[in-house]
Amino acid sequence: MSRLTEKHNLPGTLVCVEGIDGSGKSTQITLLRDWLKSSGKDVIFTEWNSSDLISQTTKLAKKKNLLSPRTFSLLHAVDFADRLKQVIGPALKAGFIVLADRYAYTAFARDVARGVDPDWVRKVYSFAYQPDLALYFDIDPKTSMERICSNRAPKFYEAGMDLKLSNDPYESYMIFQGRVIKEYQKMVNEFGLVKLNALDSIHSKQVTIRNMLKEVLKAKGVEI
Amino acid sequence: MKKFQKKHNYEGLLIVIEGTDGSGKSTQLELLKRSIQAQSYGVMVSEWKTSRLIANVIDDAKDRNLLNATTYSLLYAADFVDRLENQIIPALQSGFIVLLDRYYYTALARDVVRGQDIEWVKNLYECAPEPDLIFYLDMPVDVLLKRIIGTTGLNYYESGRDVGFSTDFYKSFEIYQNKCLEQYNRMKKEYNFKSIDGTRSIEEIHSIMQKEVQKILDSGVLY
Repeated sequence: MSRLTEKHNLPGTLVCVEGIDGSGKSTQITLLRDWLKSSGKDVIFTEWNSSDLISQTTKLAKKKNLLSPRTFSLLHAVDFADRLKQVIGPALKAGFIVLADRYAYTAFARDVARGVDPDWVRKVYSFAYQPDLALYFDIDPKTSMERICSNRAPKFYEAGMDLKLSNDPYESYMIFQGRVIKEYQKMVNEFGLVKLNALDSIHSKQVTIRNMLKEVLKAKGVEI
Repeated sequence: MKKFQKKHNYEGLLIVIEGTDGSGKSTQLELLKRSIQAQSYGVMVSEWKTSRLIANVIDDAKDRNLLNATTYSLLYAADFVDRLENQIIPALQSGFIVLLDRYYYTALARDVVRGQDIEWVKNLYECAPEPDLIFYLDMPVDVLLKRIIGTTGLNYYESGRDVGFSTDFYKSFEIYQNKCLEQYNRMKKEYNFKSIDGTRSIEEIHSIMQKEVQKILDSGVLY
């Protein structure tokens, strides 16, 4: 009954990038977007926690540390559902290439790392379309932290401080993001995420990604 | 007297009043609260869609017609879980009698009428403890329609306008409330609702509820 494990059969193409902060996914998807646009393709970009409906509320609740693992999960699901129904779904039906910076897998990784039941959160997101290409940028927590926290301390939820793993935000970040990475790695098999090494050069990753996307589009009869 | 068996492992008691809009829930909740308080029990009341986290977001989104069936379900679930974790469970743990105006049965009725898969909705609320007592105020649809029109008037979501049953406001309202009633009727048995004829007088209904609650209290379950 989950759409996430069935081909969507819509005219459009759905590509998502996944991975913890600092894994370079946003850089890659931006490069991809510019290339697709300059090739004259219809592209739509959407990112995690950005819906008009709820993203500001969620950000504020995070600032005030009001969220439990379950409400954290549900509010992000609201955001995702809003974008799925308003943006992603219509664009796929209209034949767009939809580029998503984070997708349901982000919820599966983070929420489960917070102790939410894996099966529960997968059911919550069962209305999500299966991506045609889901890229996972694998990085170690230490490198991620060096990239993200070079000029600021890790944020409360980003470091999983709500789980009381450590009083030190840096140490907590390492433990928490380590758990998130484990969840991502499990999903490589479960959902067929394509694992890329985040430490490879920007250029080599972009070449790999473009080739993979070309194959996906070709299978749909789209040349690029 | 045989000791009452609670449906959960908390110290307190969980009592729910369910029913569609305009069925008289809040009136009865208030009366029940007073009569239990009069006997020196700790009572806490919590109403549907009142969480500090999200209630105002729901109101605002409804005002601006921003919700689709899925975000509608998820927002209400978030509201519920916030109240559950921050009010209801802590009160139950401390031995309070928690009186709730609506419970997840409301979501099951409304969300399913909006086309959601019932198993999907149940999953959202799977963390909710089973109530010890569920009163259901049963109202025939014609009485209900008059009550709502005579008090609050027709509102967009209560009339199911978002579902698109009909462009006629009244027609849509009638279809929506009928469909909600169908769902409630289906749940009566499944969840063992104590169904009360909602057309009886306020005093009569209160006395029926009071007796049911008293049976539990007299069993000494809160001593």
